[in-house]
Amino acid sequence: MALKNTATPSAPRRALVLGGNRIPFARSGGAYAHASNQDMLTAALEGLVARYGLQGERIGEVAAGAVLKHSRDFNLTREAVLGSSLDATTPAYDVQQACATGLETLVGLSNKIRLGQLESAIAGGVDSTSDAPIVVTDRLRRALLDLSRARTAGQKLAALGRIRPKDLAPVAPSTGEPRTHLSMGEHQALTTAQWGITREAQDELALASHQRLAAAWDAGFFDDLVTPYRGQTVDGNLRRDTSLEKLAGLKPTFGTRLDAPATMTAGNSTPLTDGASTVLLGSEEWAATRGLTPLAAVVDAEAGAVDFVHGEDGLLMAPVFAVPRLLARNGLTLADLEYVEIHEAFASTVLATLAAWESDEFGRTRLGLDGAFGTVDRARLNVHGSSLAAGHPFAATGGRIVATIAKELHLRKQRDGGTPRALVSICAAGGLGLTAILEAA
Amino acid sequence: MTLVDLPAVPGLGGLYARGAASTGRLALARRTGSAPVELPATAYRVRGVRASLDHLAAYQRLVGEEASDTLPPGLVHVLGFPLAIALMARTDFPLPMLGMVHLANLVEQRRAIGYDETLDVTASADRLRPHRTGTQVDLVVEAAVDDEVVWRGVSTYLAKGVHLPSDERASDDERAPFEPPLPTGQWQLAADTGRRYAAVSGDRNPIHLSPLTAKAFGFPRTIAHGMYTAARLLADAGRGRGDAFVWSVDFVKPVLLPATVATSVRHRPGGGFDLAAWHPRSGKPHALASVAPPPLTPPNRRPDRPSAAWSTAPPPATPPLLRLSATRPGATPGSSTIQPRSRSTIRRAGRPTIQPRPRRCSGYP
Repeated sequence: MALKNTATPSAPRRALVLGGNRIPFARSGGAYAHASNQDMLTAALEGLVARYGLQGERIGEVAAGAVLKHSRDFNLTREAVLGSSLDATTPAYDVQQACATGLETLVGLSNKIRLGQLESAIAGGVDSTSDAPIVVTDRLRRALLDLSRARTAGQKLAALGRIRPKDLAPVAPSTGEPRTHLSMGEHQALTTAQWGITREAQDELALASHQRLAAAWDAGFFDDLVTPYRGQTVDGNLRRDTSLEKLAGLKPTFGTRLDAPATMTAGNSTPLTDGASTVLLGSEEWAATRGLTPLAAVVDAEAGAVDFVHGEDGLLMAPVFAVPRLLARNGLTLADLEYVEIHEAFASTVLATLAAWESDEFGRTRLGLDGAFGTVDRARLNVHGSSLAAGHPFAATGGRIVATIAKELHLRKQRDGGTPRALVSICAAGGLGLTAILEAA
Repeated sequence: MTLVDLPAVPGLGGLYARGAASTGRLALARRTGSAPVELPATAYRVRGVRASLDHLAAYQRLVGEEASDTLPPGLVHVLGFPLAIALMARTDFPLPMLGMVHLANLVEQRRAIGYDETLDVTASADRLRPHRTGTQVDLVVEAAVDDEVVWRGVSTYLAKGVHLPSDERASDDERAPFEPPLPTGQWQLAADTGRRYAAVSGDRNPIHLSPLTAKAFGFPRTIAHGMYTAARLLADAGRGRGDAFVWSVDFVKPVLLPATVATSVRHRPGGGFDLAAWHPRSGKPHALASVAPPPLTPPNRRPDRPSAAWSTAPPPATPPLLRLSATRPGATPGSSTIQPRSRSTIRRAGRPTIQPRPRRCSGYP
């Protein structure tokens, strides 16, 4: 594709990140084993309300979502708003874009603020793998529905007669791709093999994630970003005592059937996690009225998708294509970014992304550039750790990353001046990816 | 070629019974040297064939096709399959129906076929020829709408160990071994996969129904229908295949159920897709297939040419990269055509013989 270096889209006004609040992320089956999506989202939202004094306030709009969502939660976000101490006239809507859900709520609400449709907004996301919606099999469901529609005894018997014992087994949601039937880990194993990402590089990235997240917790960085819930006070997946030796001792869990060596382990892949996050957004005027300090502005965003179904690209590689388009539109290069946040679905996802950007051939043949897209300085990458250490409650990850990096941008600007920028990149199921640029406000 | 109009698509159960009886008679006749050595010069036709919406939905759901209102090409194969079986069950058919194995399948679809279109389905046998391990034959099925052939399928079957008197043994083909690419997907096939396809296709060959009945025919476990794996591969290719295409499949090793099957669906240069299904541990292929745009040159219009003279060769324009020859040594069935069941229905067939009507379409070169 050809990249056009067009001017930064003119925004009538800025959409600002004013703060964030999440609950500590917990390992699946841990502290939130009996908390529902609505419970956790309400807890994160109520924490945000408390932190910023929004009790009784009518917020312009609240958008959030969950990837694993029960059909009864059709109005999950609105229900969370009604369960919070926000004014009950605060509108809300649900968003679902796989792991990009949280970031997409932020992008959509920011655009409404920039257009003047909203003065204030709350973006969020939640996911529970412990309280996942279990459903009946398609065959049982169809038979039961036909049974309910049947009028004669014969029709009823025919519907019942179609039910087989194995149709009665409950079905839990899986991370399998509907079209390829490969799990996300198996897909990433293909990408790992394709790019030749080593076990050592993956373990090093995982170790850095844990060390950096631990350092941020120790420094009190999350004190004004996280509210304890159900006895969980820090991210449950964080392993302060991990080491390269310990990581190297883990057995590979994905890609064990490929010819290439299996390198992906439980240590360099994100675990199933429960959690919720929220981000407070507003216009400059609203922030000033409320006496809130803007942390960062949402500059621009770009979504992407890849054809993984036909093996063109790896399932989680969409950001590789979206980021060059996003930066070109804003007249930026990787070197212009003080921070690069690449969601660690797997360590090898991040490493394959970097490898693609560093590849001269890939840059020329797939990105339409003169050569390699560029190199990311590792010191700027996921500076406070990312999903490998924090865990990854799918829809909650966007809010975690944005709140963390918005605060970091603000601190950096206070310390060094200038207008530091951050890239946020999130890969998602379905070959999707969503990327955004934030700059210090 | 004599064209026989049948009043309706015959039931497969009766045909299997007839085929089993023919197989026995053929074995005896072969000993006395009185067995037929040529294909019957007869084509069967049934006019006014339609798929029901329920049948369409069940088929689409089973093989993973999008729920469109057009007939997947594999469902047209299902609709015409009994006619081909009826030919093979004839007493003058030179190969024993019992134990035949499905080696390859080629479908040319000229355009999308709406579920509510009425099809005239014609079946004939063609190209009786030697194979390294026996004798193979093509069963050619055409589906026409208002005399326009919209779909044409060529199913190649092998009668193992049967050598016709005039045969020269076919020599081994040179072919590249299959090297599995990185998969793009996988299937988890449950033990009842064969029973479920049998319910939708009507093909209740015992090798697909249970381990016990499969063992009776020499298979260690139940095997999946070849046309099921072929149809799933085609469905995985998706809508990018277009409405007109040539879909070619070679069946190499049967899928023993239950199974995990590695699959690859990749764009091929010049359009279309290369499709493969293989055993993820051994790397041995189950089915190698392609779906490609129809050849660039439009089919010749030869009104004088009867339909049975259509080309049966795979499309030469863009041969599949992964294609193995249909004459692979030790080839085993994707499907075979045995199952003695209830009474014959073919006797109801009308006997008036009429000459085939000229067809406007002829085969691709």
